Amino acid sequence: MAEEAIRIENVTKRFGDFVAVDDVDLSIAQGEFFSLLGPSGCGKTTTLRMLAGFEVPTAGRILLEGEPVEKVPPHQRNVNMVFQSYALFEHLDVEGNVAFGLKRKKVPKDEIRTRVADALELVDLSSRSAARPNELSGGQRQRVALARALVNQPRVLLLDEPLGALDLKLRRQMQIELKAIQREVGITFVYVTHDQEEALSMSDRIAVMSDGRVAQCGPPEEVYEHPNEEFVAGFIGISNLLEGRVESGGRVRIGEDCLAVPDLGDGHPEGEMVQIAVRPEKVAVDELGGEPYRIEPDMFTVEGEIESKVYLGVGNQLTLKLGNGGRLVALEQATYRMRADEQWEIGQRVRIGWHPEHCMVLS
Amino acid sequence: MSSRRFWDWFIFPGGIWIALLFAVPLMLVLALSFGHVDDFGRGVYGFSLDNYRDVFDATYVPVLIRSVAYALATVILCLLIGYPVAYFIARYGGKYRYALLAALVIPFFVNYLVRTYAWVALLADQGLINNLLVDWGFTQEPIQMINTPYAVIGGLVYGYIIFMILPLYGSIERMDPSVVEAGKDLYGSPLQTFIHVTLPATQAGILAGCVLVFLPAVGDFVSAQLLGGPDTYMVGNLIQDQFFAASNWPFGSALTVVMMLFLAVWMVFYLRRASKGEAEVL
Repeated sequence: MAEEAIRIENVTKRFGDFVAVDDVDLSIAQGEFFSLLGPSGCGKTTTLRMLAGFEVPTAGRILLEGEPVEKVPPHQRNVNMVFQSYALFEHLDVEGNVAFGLKRKKVPKDEIRTRVADALELVDLSSRSAARPNELSGGQRQRVALARALVNQPRVLLLDEPLGALDLKLRRQMQIELKAIQREVGITFVYVTHDQEEALSMSDRIAVMSDGRVAQCGPPEEVYEHPNEEFVAGFIGISNLLEGRVESGGRVRIGEDCLAVPDLGDGHPEGEMVQIAVRPEKVAVDELGGEPYRIEPDMFTVEGEIESKVYLGVGNQLTLKLGNGGRLVALEQATYRMRADEQWEIGQRVRIGWHPEHCMVLS
Repeated sequence: MSSRRFWDWFIFPGGIWIALLFAVPLMLVLALSFGHVDDFGRGVYGFSLDNYRDVFDATYVPVLIRSVAYALATVILCLLIGYPVAYFIARYGGKYRYALLAALVIPFFVNYLVRTYAWVALLADQGLINNLLVDWGFTQEPIQMINTPYAVIGGLVYGYIIFMILPLYGSIERMDPSVVEAGKDLYGSPLQTFIHVTLPATQAGILAGCVLVFLPAVGDFVSAQLLGGPDTYMVGNLIQDQFFAASNWPFGSALTVVMMLFLAVWMVFYLRRASKGEAEVL
């Protein structure tokens, strides 16, 4: 791993009786795009605010490039934050907003001018330098907030749901731009979001948080493909959960069927009850009795019927009722051979299958 | 008939009320200010600028200046006292915010005159404070507190501070707290953040509070009459004297008109800012 930018050591934050952050341990590398992902109240924003200095940990240490900073006030920390509400200074124009930090640091005037110009160039706002924040669109305000933080060349940039107030299309566009900017400036980004897609598409690593603790921390692919617990599997994407009992030879019995699960490993003794999760897009559905169209020979298959169907344009989201009363959600892509609306009737009997290696075992 | 036109008729009762009981007396005052006093001390209409000349006579100019000075001192003191109070209630009052505001507002339901009399009871030579100071041996003789400019300004501050606190509270409460955090995050010390972020973000409330305190304070006569002496005479006292003691209604009218024009300038300035959204409207 590259050099460490931030280390969070056994950090706990309590507000009265409420434990907002519970014994969190994280290490964030230099230049990494690191996301804290979780539902509201999971402690991700409190963690970020402790990095910024707005909250002091109840216990534990925070190291910024090896220096303990947990008691250093925010104005003496070399980190900057992009606020969810942007928190622009309405009485200053765009240039004044961006120059604010440099002025406080008593940077020479000439240098301020060039650095502010560079920062505005970076976020593509050079033409609006004299505008007041209230004359800007939401996306432009967001860019000012970003430039205002980046211009200080902080060791770490903290972003608190910075795209939350933007509409979907703009959000997608800003995700790409943010990632490009991060690559260009090479600053460590710590990004707080509750949007799993945002976290997956931008991050080098994601820490999924729940109830104040880190449930899982790893690259997006790992968190998505190998969630280690039910919460992570459910929060990142949709997951079908099946109850099963471990049998000998790495097999799991689900109802009357038994399947080999490569993900099981050695840690599960025979007879243990486990949760098996399958992603909806990994579930294949074929007509019962017809030629196999999607289902492949080495798939584990069961019978069921179509309970409901949601037309998505690019595909269908099917809810399938299994013989044993369980339910599965399948996400099916329309193909060049078939439109989504030309498939499936409610109540139709179907064969359902998935590859055993797509079974995720949750503890 | 459209209902819009029907409802338009409702402008008349209030309109007539204001015209008869507000505009007409004001016009009479304006007319009388150009008149003079006859041998029996009655005001007579006429047209001369003598009264206006008298207003700016060397005798009275110090009174005008003093009024403005006292009012400005009152504004500054109200701001210095009111800002921390408003800030504390708005930011840290939590669920007690409205109770705290009510505690500030309730005394103002008591008539201003009565409240000012209470200050007389406190500050008089034989008043509560002096009696205590003498009893406890801090001083042999009572300290002169009443009949001083300090007492008059103190009375004005006490009388009008709520007009400072309420608009300040409004603008501080509406301020996004993360703006203050952004100031600190961008290397502003607590003091720098206050000067460069908090104050500008609440300037609408500051402006409104200053104007709303200044306007009544400059024309006040109660505080100076009860808590002051001949040296603390304000223009309000002067006007009152012309109407009730000296019986020079035309001169009193001229004083009134001059003061109203002076206040109107401030009022227009305030309303223009308010209409641009730069000042709090109470």
